[in-house]
Amino acid sequence: MNVLDAIKIRRSIRSFERRSLPPEVIQSIEDAILHSPSGSNAQESHFVIVQDPDQIRRIKRFAQGLSGDPAAVVVLCTNKEEALARGGLDTAEVLRFVNLGIAAAYILLTASSLEVGSCPARSFHQKAIKEILGLPEGIEPELLISLGYSNQPPRPKSSKPVREVISYDQYGKEKP
Amino acid sequence: MTNTEKKSLEEGLQNRLLDYVSYVLTSARGLYKEPHSYGPMRMVDSLEKALFLLRDMGIKDDAIEESVAVIRENRWRVTSDPEAFAQALDDAILRLVKVTLKESSTSHE
Ligand SMILES: Cc1cc2nc3c(=O)[nH]c(=O)nc-3n(C[C@H](O)[C@H](O)[C@H](O)COP(=O)(O)O)c2cc1C
Repeated sequence: MNVLDAIKIRRSIRSFERRSLPPEVIQSIEDAILHSPSGSNAQESHFVIVQDPDQIRRIKRFAQGLSGDPAAVVVLCTNKEEALARGGLDTAEVLRFVNLGIAAAYILLTASSLEVGSCPARSFHQKAIKEILGLPEGIEPELLISLGYSNQPPRPKSSKPVREVISYDQYGKEKP
Repeated sequence: MTNTEKKSLEEGLQNRLLDYVSYVLTSARGLYKEPHSYGPMRMVDSLEKALFLLRDMGIKDDAIEESVAVIRENRWRVTSDPEAFAQALDDAILRLVKVTLKESSTSHE
């Protein structure tokens, strides 16, 4: 599947089949993470891929935005100190979140290309998740991505009109 | 049911109740800063989780389940079409009103 097709079929999935993910899917997610770009190649982010059902259950208790019973949860974490050391102030303040967002998109699209459902979730208790995962000081969980095979048909996408989102050559100008 | 089966059922339910309590508490904390529209959605999710718990404990009411099904179907509309979401909640509430009226008419007999 090409990238644009993966983009177009992706939808947030909040209900999953009780089926685990084959190792190839996890391997592809790992490849996607490792090939994701980062400002000045700082690579300060850390990712915890959780597949143990007990650990997923613990996470779900403190992640109110995570719906359904996913087969895996990827926890995307920032590392402010490493960002500062490897990339400087801008990386520590802003780019580490940009980098994490790009990595998130790579994970979502890789899943989509393999017809694996996913949903990003920011609604969770950061300290609770940090404790559960045993994250060291300075490494903060910022986003969860659930993964699994969807058991629901995709719901329709609601998008703003194109002219509200995209301009050409100058702000507010329509396509030439 | 043997004693061992009963004990494992109780432990399972205790765990589920702990899932539920932690979820509700974390939701309450989250809503302090989350978008307003998440409030109704979290309450609907809490309601559904509570009803699943009751069902697994052997307490079941078709009318309540129907009402939840209506909400469930429209739950995702809370951010994209709040009016349709509100109407689905109205529909679900009116189903519960019917249950309430049925109950009070039988209690007066
Ligand atoms: C940064 C971010 C955080 C999100 N957090 C949550 C969340 O906590 N819970 C949830 O159900 N969906 C969450 N979503 C999913 C959005 O609700 C979803 O992407 C949006 O409604 C558009 O729908 P679509 O992904 O199907 O295109 C999040 C999405 C993003 C990008």
